[in-house]
Amino acid sequence: MNNDSINLKVGQCAATTYSVPVGPVHPALKEPIRFTFNLDGERIVGVDIKPGFAHRGIEYMGMRRNLIQALYLSERICGICSISHPLAFTQAVENAAGIEVPPRAQYIRTIIGELERVHSHLLWAGVGAHELGFDTLLHLTWNVREKSMDLLEELTGNRVDYAIPIFSGVRRDVPAEKAHLAYEALDYYKGLLQQMIDAFLHDKSVEMRTRNVGALSYDLAVDLCAVGPTARASGVKKDVRQDMPYLAYADMEVKAITPEDFGTEPHGDVYDNIIVRLLEVKQSIEIIEFCLENLPSGELMSIPKVPALLATLKKASGEGLGRHEAPRGEVIHYVRLEEGIEEPAVWKVKAPTYSNLMAWVPKFLGDEIADVPIIAASIDPCMCCMDRVHMVDTVGNETTRMKEELVRLSREKTRRICG
Amino acid sequence: MNVENIFTSFKNALGVSYLEDRTIERTVGVIHSGTVYDLWITVDRASFHDAVAHLCSEYVPHLSVISGDDLGDNVALNYHFTVGWGERYGEVTFTIRTLLPKSDLTIPTITDLLAGAQTSEREKIEFYGIDVVGIPDSRNLFLPEDATIHPWRKDLEEETAKEVKRMVKWEGRNE
Repeated sequence: MNNDSINLKVGQCAATTYSVPVGPVHPALKEPIRFTFNLDGERIVGVDIKPGFAHRGIEYMGMRRNLIQALYLSERICGICSISHPLAFTQAVENAAGIEVPPRAQYIRTIIGELERVHSHLLWAGVGAHELGFDTLLHLTWNVREKSMDLLEELTGNRVDYAIPIFSGVRRDVPAEKAHLAYEALDYYKGLLQQMIDAFLHDKSVEMRTRNVGALSYDLAVDLCAVGPTARASGVKKDVRQDMPYLAYADMEVKAITPEDFGTEPHGDVYDNIIVRLLEVKQSIEIIEFCLENLPSGELMSIPKVPALLATLKKASGEGLGRHEAPRGEVIHYVRLEEGIEEPAVWKVKAPTYSNLMAWVPKFLGDEIADVPIIAASIDPCMCCMDRVHMVDTVGNETTRMKEELVRLSREKTRRICG
Repeated sequence: MNVENIFTSFKNALGVSYLEDRTIERTVGVIHSGTVYDLWITVDRASFHDAVAHLCSEYVPHLSVISGDDLGDNVALNYHFTVGWGERYGEVTFTIRTLLPKSDLTIPTITDLLAGAQTSEREKIEFYGIDVVGIPDSRNLFLPEDATIHPWRKDLEEETAKEVKRMVKWEGRNE
């Protein structure tokens, strides 16, 4: 692929190319999105991306609710990283209003945030295995993932939407009598990590299907403002936890993980995305262990009464930024508060996929239609299902391809190259 | 990263177009404390592109997002950059703010300097009705392709409500 000739818009179709819309309901995303691929034979020569089918106007709604109601709304922006948005939002509001967060609350926020990374990365790895046709690996990975979901349920009461952060602290404690459950889960993962690395990274078939597929160069990752594992797979050492520490991350040496930590040169391909995510699971386990061992004692909220908290927020004015390194990359929230009103005057949310949208284009270009599911999945770990794919040729003939057919194409390719 | 040096370099580069700056300094950490900085500068729209060009020539910036703020007579745009990533405590947020009067909602694109800005610029076009001059692709991104409403404009709330009602009816939900 020639990176210099990237076409960010669908160009004119030559006589031999096909225009192939994929989505809006899509094979490798939890949210609907529409790709329109221009194909020369099996090869992708152009792609146009249209998101927005699940735009719910959350910021608009949030600006018409009081801040605590908006916090619960922020938790529902994403079902997988359901603590990442509240973590960024609470920090933005706390920075704007000058509210302190007690040390114990900072550590508890970090523990839940890292547990979320563990389950999100494992979910993604399972989805990737499924897209390639390795369903045994999917079942193994998702079975392993359950342990982190169980622990989250034990600690917060919920498998998703944990409702832990609140302005000025956290809503629930991690009591000493539950700590053994966390240590047990961490030991479980430590024992399994090498097995997962062997299953994914030392498997010839996985390597053949993912190496040099969906590649993103270092320069493009920087220029297109990519974030998270997508950028780090290309060797960009960018991680909010390292670059601009916050919460408990300021107390430990968190390092941005790139394929170099696995001893290989970064290619920015799907294989490198697997490396980064698996190594980050190990990193998260170490962070949680550090937090449990050094968990400070003390209060959970600096303003424990909700009416007093609301009154403080109503009096506050100013603007603040809150950032968090979510499993998929940087989440940033901008908030402006005005004295006398309970609602945020401005609330802007930026999720990692928003930043990685542009990076999808060079990742797709030059690859084959059978690689679409795994490249699409390489950025975002959630799998919903694809409704259909319409294939339209240049004289207007239209055929419909079902999700199963695209997955079949992907699996046939695996069989073909594995002989 | 020396905060004062950054401000001075921008002041020198932009002259009278450099309107104001401020720094928010925060202490983080429980066991080992450190300091992080949020930097904000406001520039005149005429020199906005120069300000971003200066940022790109001095650093390797990352654009997190562009936020907008309808202030009545003006729309403020905050370009939330981060610079200095790659090392521990190396990064600061750097927000460049500029005001656009409602009578002339135009701003030059920065995609020529940072291609990744396109997503956020397209969002501002549709949600605020801003004309981003020179953007390679100005189609609606998140709103329906044929939508002409600008939902984050406070003076256009009536039109937005009308259009949303029409869409709900069109979808047959009758709510």
